[in-house]
Amino acid sequence: MTSDPTMSITGARQRQERFTVLQKWVSRALAGNLSCLIVPGPEVALSHGLDVTAAGMRITATPRDASVLLIIGELSEKMNEAVAVLYAQMPRPRAIVNLGGQTPSTLPDADFSAGVSQAGLIDAVDWLKRALAKGAFSDSPEDFDAPVLHARIEYVCPMHPEVVQNEPGSCPKCGMDLVAREAGEPAPEHDHGHDHREHRHHEHEHQHHEHEHQHHDHAQQHEHHEHEHDHGHCHDHHDSHEHDHEQHEGHQHSHENHHDHGHKHQHDESDGDAEEKNSGHDHSEHGHDSHEHGGHDHVGHGHSGHDHGGHDHGASGFMSMIEVTKDLPRSADGLAMDWMEVPFGPVFPGLPGGLKLTLTLDGDGVTEGQATSLVGMINESEEGKEIDAETFIERLASAMPLASVSYRLLACLAIERAAGLENDSATDQARAVALECERIASHLGWLAQTGRQLGFAWLTDRAATLQLEIRRASGKRLVELTPALQALAARLGRTPLLKSRLKGIGVLPSGTAGLSGPVARAADDAGDAWARLWQRLDEIITSLDYIKATGEPGLPVLRNIGRGSGTGEATVETPRGEAQLSLILEHGQVKSYRLDTACSHHIGLVAKLVEGRELGDALVAVGSLDLSPWEVIS
Amino acid sequence: MNFVIVLLALLGSVWLLAVVEGWTTTGRLRPAAPLLSGLAHLGRESIVPRTPDRVFFETAPVLLLIVAVLGAAVLPLAPTLVIADLATGALFINAALAYVLVALIMAGWGPNGAYAMIGGWRFLGQLIAYAMLIVMPITAVAMRAESLVTTVIVGSQDGLWNIVYQPLGFVLFFIAAMALAFRAPFDLPTAPGELGGGVDAEYTGVRLGVLRLARLTLVITLASATTVFYLGGWHGPLLPPWAWSLIKTLAVAVSMLLAGRYLPRIREADLMRWCWTLGIPLALLNIIVVGLLVLVVP
Repeated sequence: MTSDPTMSITGARQRQERFTVLQKWVSRALAGNLSCLIVPGPEVALSHGLDVTAAGMRITATPRDASVLLIIGELSEKMNEAVAVLYAQMPRPRAIVNLGGQTPSTLPDADFSAGVSQAGLIDAVDWLKRALAKGAFSDSPEDFDAPVLHARIEYVCPMHPEVVQNEPGSCPKCGMDLVAREAGEPAPEHDHGHDHREHRHHEHEHQHHEHEHQHHDHAQQHEHHEHEHDHGHCHDHHDSHEHDHEQHEGHQHSHENHHDHGHKHQHDESDGDAEEKNSGHDHSEHGHDSHEHGGHDHVGHGHSGHDHGGHDHGASGFMSMIEVTKDLPRSADGLAMDWMEVPFGPVFPGLPGGLKLTLTLDGDGVTEGQATSLVGMINESEEGKEIDAETFIERLASAMPLASVSYRLLACLAIERAAGLENDSATDQARAVALECERIASHLGWLAQTGRQLGFAWLTDRAATLQLEIRRASGKRLVELTPALQALAARLGRTPLLKSRLKGIGVLPSGTAGLSGPVARAADDAGDAWARLWQRLDEIITSLDYIKATGEPGLPVLRNIGRGSGTGEATVETPRGEAQLSLILEHGQVKSYRLDTACSHHIGLVAKLVEGRELGDALVAVGSLDLSPWEVIS
Repeated sequence: MNFVIVLLALLGSVWLLAVVEGWTTTGRLRPAAPLLSGLAHLGRESIVPRTPDRVFFETAPVLLLIVAVLGAAVLPLAPTLVIADLATGALFINAALAYVLVALIMAGWGPNGAYAMIGGWRFLGQLIAYAMLIVMPITAVAMRAESLVTTVIVGSQDGLWNIVYQPLGFVLFFIAAMALAFRAPFDLPTAPGELGGGVDAEYTGVRLGVLRLARLTLVITLASATTVFYLGGWHGPLLPPWAWSLIKTLAVAVSMLLAGRYLPRIREADLMRWCWTLGIPLALLNIIVVGLLVLVVP
C-alpha cells in the first residue's frame, strides 16, 4: 500500500486543465496542511496513546475543515452511517485513514489502513503527504454515494397540496408546474410558497452543469446537500441531485435525492425510516402549521432561511410577526420562537465521540434534550453462544476504549471468581495500581475534552500531553509526574472565568438516585460542574498517593482458570463509577453475562440537566458527567 | 501611495500574526505556514450549502474583510502615513466596525444551518454589550484630544500615553475589542465546542480562506486602533514612527491571541451581565474622570 500512494477517486478533486501549474503548487500546500477529523473522537485517539498533532496533522472541530477522516477502531453500525455523512461533508481533496478496524461499509475503501499505533499513524501521515502531493487532483473523480444520504423526492402542486406524484409535471387541476420536495415535507403554504416555486422553475431550466458537485452531509446538525458551485444558479437539492446522477445517464429526475438535510437530521440515525420521520416536521414556512405536528417539530430554519432571503413574500402583503408566531409554543421568557431540534454529535468537538445529544432549541436556550449512545455495548447473553474466557476479556476491554484496563480487570475478576480462584494479594495490588493509573489518565482525558468544549486550548494541550505520558509511564515515573499534575490543578484554580463558567451549572437535584463515581462523590458537595471538576482533580492526586505507597502497575491478565465452571460476580470502581459484571462460566467458556455500568445510569440525567439551560451551559452540564458512550449498556 | 503602504503593512502584520498563532498552537515557528495554508484553501473545494441565502453566504466573508480594511484606513502608522485622515476618524472607525455585526449575521443566516445561525444571533445579542464599550472609551479619548482626527489623538498622547492617562478606558476598550473581533475567550459566534464552528461552520475552501484572512485582519485593525487610541501610536524613541506603530500593534494583537489560549470561553450570560452592569457604568466613570482631568489639568 505504501509503495504507490494514490488518492481514492472519491477523495480527489476534478483536475482543471487550465491550472495545471497552480494545481501542482496547491497539491504541495495541501500535503503540508493535513487536518483531520477524528472518529469517534480525539479522546479515543488519546486513550489509545495516539498523538495526532505530533504525527503532523491538525485536529479539526468540523468535517468542513478536515482533509482526512481518521477512523480509530471498529465502529458500530450506527456510527458507520454517521461517518458516511461526515465524509460527504468534507471538501475534496479528502482521504480516509483507518487505524485498527474495518473500513465502515458505508464509506469507500480507506486510503490507508494500519493498526492502532503511533507508528501506524506516522506512516499514514507520510503516505497522505505523498498521495496528496501527487494525486490531489484527478481526471476522473467520482461522487461519493451512500444509502444513508438518500431521501425521496416527490412533486407537489403549490396550490393543491393533495396533488402529489413521483414525477415532475404540471398540476391536473390548475396546470401549474409541480414543485419538488422531500417526501414527508408538509405542503408549501400558499402565501409563501411562491418563492419555492420560482426556484424550482429555475432549476428545471438549468440541468446541465459540468462542474464538480457532490452530496455533502452534516452528521452533526442540519445536513445540507451541497455541491461545488461555479455557476450562480444551482442552489437547490433538486438541481444538485441532477449532478449526482450524471453518471447514470438519462436519470435526470431520479427520485432518490442524496441529500442531507439540516432540518431533517434523521440521517445520522440509522433506523432507515427517514421518510417517516420527515413527516413530523414543518418545512420552512415561518412556522405555520408547526403546532399541528405535535409541538416543536418545527425546524423551519432549514428552508425558512431560503425563504426569508428570497424576499419573495413582500408581494403577497405584510407578514405580521404576531400572526406568524401566534400558535408557536412559548418559551420560558414568554417569547414565541421557532423551535429547532438540533443534533449535537455523534462526532462533535464539545462532546465525547459516539454520544449523540438531541436538543430542542428555542433561540439558544434548550427546551428539552436527550442523549443516546451510538456505540454502547449490548448486553447479549444469548443462550448457547459461548465465548472463550480470554476472548471475552479482550472483547470487553476493546469495547470500552476509554477505560479498557478497568473492564479488563472487571472481566478477569468475574471469571476468576466464577472459576473459584482465591484472591492473590500481589496480583490484586498490581491490578489496583493499574486501575489507579487508568483513573488518572481517564480524568486527564476528561480535562482535555472539557478544554475542547470550553475553547480552553492550553488545558486541552496540557492534559493531553500528561495523559500520553502517564500511559507510557511506569509507577516510578508516575510519581515523578506528581508535581506536574499538582501544578495543573493549581493552575485551574487560578484560571479566571473558569469558575463562573462551571459554578452552578449542571446541578443535580439532591437525592438523585443511581449516581456513582466522581459524579456521586461530587454530589455531596455542590453537585455542579465545578464540584465535579475538583472531585476529579482530587482523585488524580489521591490515586497518585496510592501509587506512590503501593508500587508498580501490572496489567490485569487472566490467571489460569483451567476448565472451571460456576457463576462469578465482580465490581470495579472504574474512572466513571461502579461497573458490575456477573457471568456464568462453563468449562472455561463464558456462557452468559450481565454488565451494569455507571454511564448507563448517568446518561438518563441528561434530560434533566439540559432543560431550560442556555446552550453553552447545557453542553457543559452534559460534559461534566464524563459520559463514555461506550459504557452505556443497552 | 499611502494606501499601498498601509495595505502592505496590514498584510505583513496579518502574516506575522498568523505565524505567531501557528507557533503557539503547534510549537513550531514556520514562516511559510500562512502562505501554504492560504494556498491549501485555494485547493480545497468551496462548498455551497444546500438552499443557502446565496447573497448573504457569499457576501459575509468579503464584507468582513472590507470592514477590517476600512477600519484600518483611518488609523495612522506615522504622522503622514494614513490612508484617510478624516476629520471624523474616531467616529468613522466605529461606523466601519458596526458592519462586523452585519457580516456575522449574514454569515450566520446565509448557509441555512442551525449552528451558524445561532452563532450569528449570539453576536447580535452581544451588540450593546461590546459596542458601548468601544464607543464610550473612544469618547473619553476624543475628549482629551479635543478632536476626532486620529492623528491629533496620537499627537495628544505625546509625553503621556492614554494607557496611563485613562487606564480604565484602555482595559474596557481592550476587552471590547476582543469581543468585537470574536477571539477566544469571546468566540461565542464560532465556539467550536458549542456550535461546531458556528458562523465559520459551513465555509470551506476559498471562502473559508477569505473568512480567516478577514478575521486576522480584523484583529490587526483593532490592535492598531488600541495602539492609536491608548498606546501613543507612533510615539517612541530611536525607531522610526511607523516601526513603533507596527511593533505596538503586533504586541497588542499577539496579546489578544494569547489571552484566549489560557482562558475558557466566557459564558454568554456573564458577558452580557458584566458588560451591562459593570462595563457601562465604568465607562461612564471613565468619561467623568477624563472630563475632570481635562478641565482641571491645564
